[in-house]
Amino acid sequence: MESFPSRYRNLSVLLLLLVAQLLLLAYQVKTSQDVRLIRLWAVTAVTPVARAIEWVRSGVAGAWENVFVLGDVRAENKQLKRELAELRLKNQLLAAELQTADRTKALIEFRSQVPSKTIAARIIGTGTGANARTVFVDRGSVEGVKRGMAAITDKGIVGKVVAAYPTASLVQLITEQGSAAGVISQKNRVRGTLKAQGSGTLIVDYIRNEEKVEIGEWFYTSGTDRIYPRGLPVGRVKSTREGRGSKEVIIEPSGLQGGLEEMLIVLDGVHGSVPEPETPPSPGIAILPAPPEAAPAAQTAQPVGAQQAGGTQQSAAPPASAAPSPSQPAQASSNGLATDADRLRERYRRVGESQGIVLGTTKLRVPDFNKAPADPPRPAPPKPEAPPPASPKPGAADQTPPAVPKQ
Amino acid sequence: MAGRTIPQERPPDSTESRPLVRDDIKFAQSKIAAFQYVTVAIFVFLITGYWDLQVLKEEIFKAKAQQNQIKSLPVPAPRGRILDRDGRVIVDNHSSYRLILSRESLREEHIAPIAMGLNLDADELMRKVDRFRKQPTYFTIPLKEDLTPDELTFVEAHRGDDAFPEMELIRSQHRLYPRDGVAAHLLGYTGEINDAELNSQEFAKHNPGEIIGKMGIERFYNDVLSGIDGQRQVRVDNRMNTREVLGIKEAQPGRDLRLTIDLDLQVVAELAMEGKSGAVVALDPRNGEVLALVSTPAYDPNHFVGRINAREWRALNENPNLPLLNRAIQAQLAPGSTFKPIMALAGLEEGVIDETTTVFCPGSATYYGRTFKCHKKGGHGTVNLHRALAQSCDVFFYMVGNRLGIDKIAKYAEMAGLGKETGIDLPHEKAGVVPSSAWKVRRYREKWYAGETISVSIGQGALTVTPIQLAHAIGGIVTGGVWMRPHLVKDEKQTVPARKAELNLENVNRVMYGMYAVVNEGGTGAGSRIPGVEFSGKTGSAQRASNEFMKKKDPSADYRDDGWFVGFAPRSQPEIVVAALFEHGEHGDLAAPIVRDVIKAWHDKKIRLERPRPAPSLAKALSPLQPLSGSPAR
Repeated sequence: MESFPSRYRNLSVLLLLLVAQLLLLAYQVKTSQDVRLIRLWAVTAVTPVARAIEWVRSGVAGAWENVFVLGDVRAENKQLKRELAELRLKNQLLAAELQTADRTKALIEFRSQVPSKTIAARIIGTGTGANARTVFVDRGSVEGVKRGMAAITDKGIVGKVVAAYPTASLVQLITEQGSAAGVISQKNRVRGTLKAQGSGTLIVDYIRNEEKVEIGEWFYTSGTDRIYPRGLPVGRVKSTREGRGSKEVIIEPSGLQGGLEEMLIVLDGVHGSVPEPETPPSPGIAILPAPPEAAPAAQTAQPVGAQQAGGTQQSAAPPASAAPSPSQPAQASSNGLATDADRLRERYRRVGESQGIVLGTTKLRVPDFNKAPADPPRPAPPKPEAPPPASPKPGAADQTPPAVPKQ
Repeated sequence: MAGRTIPQERPPDSTESRPLVRDDIKFAQSKIAAFQYVTVAIFVFLITGYWDLQVLKEEIFKAKAQQNQIKSLPVPAPRGRILDRDGRVIVDNHSSYRLILSRESLREEHIAPIAMGLNLDADELMRKVDRFRKQPTYFTIPLKEDLTPDELTFVEAHRGDDAFPEMELIRSQHRLYPRDGVAAHLLGYTGEINDAELNSQEFAKHNPGEIIGKMGIERFYNDVLSGIDGQRQVRVDNRMNTREVLGIKEAQPGRDLRLTIDLDLQVVAELAMEGKSGAVVALDPRNGEVLALVSTPAYDPNHFVGRINAREWRALNENPNLPLLNRAIQAQLAPGSTFKPIMALAGLEEGVIDETTTVFCPGSATYYGRTFKCHKKGGHGTVNLHRALAQSCDVFFYMVGNRLGIDKIAKYAEMAGLGKETGIDLPHEKAGVVPSSAWKVRRYREKWYAGETISVSIGQGALTVTPIQLAHAIGGIVTGGVWMRPHLVKDEKQTVPARKAELNLENVNRVMYGMYAVVNEGGTGAGSRIPGVEFSGKTGSAQRASNEFMKKKDPSADYRDDGWFVGFAPRSQPEIVVAALFEHGEHGDLAAPIVRDVIKAWHDKKIRLERPRPAPSLAKALSPLQPLSGSPAR
């Protein structure tokens, strides 16, 4: 007797599909995975094929292209041109191989310098969408890749893994809107957050206007984002502009320059250090570098309010003018913010100190609060026996980021 | 042929005779019919489901889908600033970032990694999330205030839909208090409303997660300082990036509060109390305006902005020096000899003494079989009221107290405002104790013994006062019997409540003259004389524990006497009264320089203001009374 499924094949298939779909839907809802099952299976099924195709394509694409081009040569120069074409072809293949070898060598060398555990990955496709700044790479969860891992090259950070499939992963490039990374400037050690704008521009946010950032200065990862290990190059400052409340710093990313074909996925990040800036080449006249901290300290100790009203105070100097006024700044606080109460307290403290009176304690001597207080003490100049290091090192501040130090 | 039957062809059995093919068809038909019904039922089930989703609950799901696209974000209203009497900024706001969790997209498995990334306690965060479960989902959970740059970076790097989409950054205004605890007890601090406060009448109009004033002025005037939060509706993409602002309901900022505090006097009092434990209160006795209010040791209110960590809070609470105690209004201690002006007035008013009354002080006196010592071992010799006040002779005031009796002493102490709150506009003020025979029965169910009166006569025994009570009491006496309620906010429209007493002004002048002698005629406060200023006052030193207790005292505890000083200036029609408590200061003459410096700051400022004003441009640059243009932006 014929079995039911074979007798009613169409109906059975329909039922099977319906039941299967309902079960899968229920499973999908129950597990609430980030990646849809259909996408997971599709990517898993397609990526080995895509990888194979990409391998074949990248290997012989140039060759095929040139063979076709050579098919149109004229007869009289056929032999010569064929030879020429063959040589050119050979040359191109060698050049491509050399370039690949250089890139691979640089990546291998970089990988050996970085203490983080990394895995090399090759781009096998781009994400969907006209302006998508995401790429598929040929490493997935089978190799230990997880969502949230950093992608880097020897030139700088590239992005982070936003989805990990068994044999492939989706990497969101640092230029995709919504990407962010903690950064620190190499020279002035200014901290901020690297953020991608809609147009693919990278800016460093949360830098106060009074903080110093120079054009051409390098930014490195600070490690505070908990994605990128500290000490990786990010890019150079393209332009700066003072904005409302914070400085607008635009960065030229170094990791995405010159094309991107391979990258390292950071499987286990280890923080390093931000390298010291290299001193520019000596201009022929020997100039010692500035003593450490002396110049900025003198600036902070110089009251801004006193600078503003200094001339008037000196010329008039009536007793009333010496009245303790909060217009003079207090000592810089940790966050640089102070109220009028803080400024006034510092002023009165200096009044007491300049008259040798401990307020609330000294007997028989009464403070005169209408007397001008002594100027705040200035920091002592650097000791002559401890000169700062001379002989500035020659350095090349070109597009190549400074070497990443041993972390 | 009968009986023979011709076998007839039996009609074929319906079952057996039915052709096989026909049977199969019937079987198939019934089964197909059954499957058809099942199939139809499945499709009906599916169609019903689709109908339910697409037609019946269309609006619900549409709204849910839109909620994923449209987000409502709170726009926190900045609190009003707190200014001093001259418009100088004491408490300001500064711009910073607040992190909230959107409950619409919250996933509980994200709580632990978020807590780790922001160095928070995951369990505490989970408890916080639990507290919000009963609230509607549009209530957001405030996670952290005043984010550091590193925390901002973490949030920015992880708030996409591929990580923690529930994290939302809001730009808001945060409190900026004076550093190092300056005026901390006066100002108080702000913090997130807790469950107990949510259930209280005082904060009934507030919602979970809101910032309220917790202590001091911040709490007492919370309704004035608090603004009304606004709201911002934005359209976001699947990565939670804002694509479009759909609407903004602007926040209404809180109102600025102008205090009666004079910042010049406040900071001088703060500096004078550095390294000491105690309090200073300066009042204008003519109108009750508080010019300075200091309590030390203090805490830094800036640490409370956002949320103080548990370790720091525990350290503050367990600190034996009690930095959270506002000693100016909460320290209830024996006033010692600073009580003597009230005793003198009571004796004069009741007629038990006059200016000619003298007592011989041999260094002690015996009452009811017990010897009471004077602070000067060798004695003061013969003293009258004027000299007794100047030299703070205990024996003279034992006699006055003995003649008055405890209930008359209590009458005048209460008239001066002791034993009850002054009514200052600060929370948690203490009343102190004015003992009387009724009080002892009420409190201990015992009768009052006359010997106990002798100790009270010199500001000891069961008598306790707060520094603000002492300043208030002396302020009322030196203004001739008018006690204005101490207050901290300058409001010209409001009439300040006052109490009046019919006092003989000659008696008042006698007391004031005695206090003048304390400082200016070689009295106990002579070391704090201010040349050119008619500064008067009274020293006091008060035992912390009884002599019996001291005999078996804990050697590790500090039982040194407290030093007090209460002073006023000028002598005629006083404009300022200052009381200082120097805990364990041992003697009042060590508290006197604190009051002297505050009064000197007041005097010097008065001179500055009375001088011809310089040209406008110069005045703007130099006068301390000009509001600052360079103060931090709100």
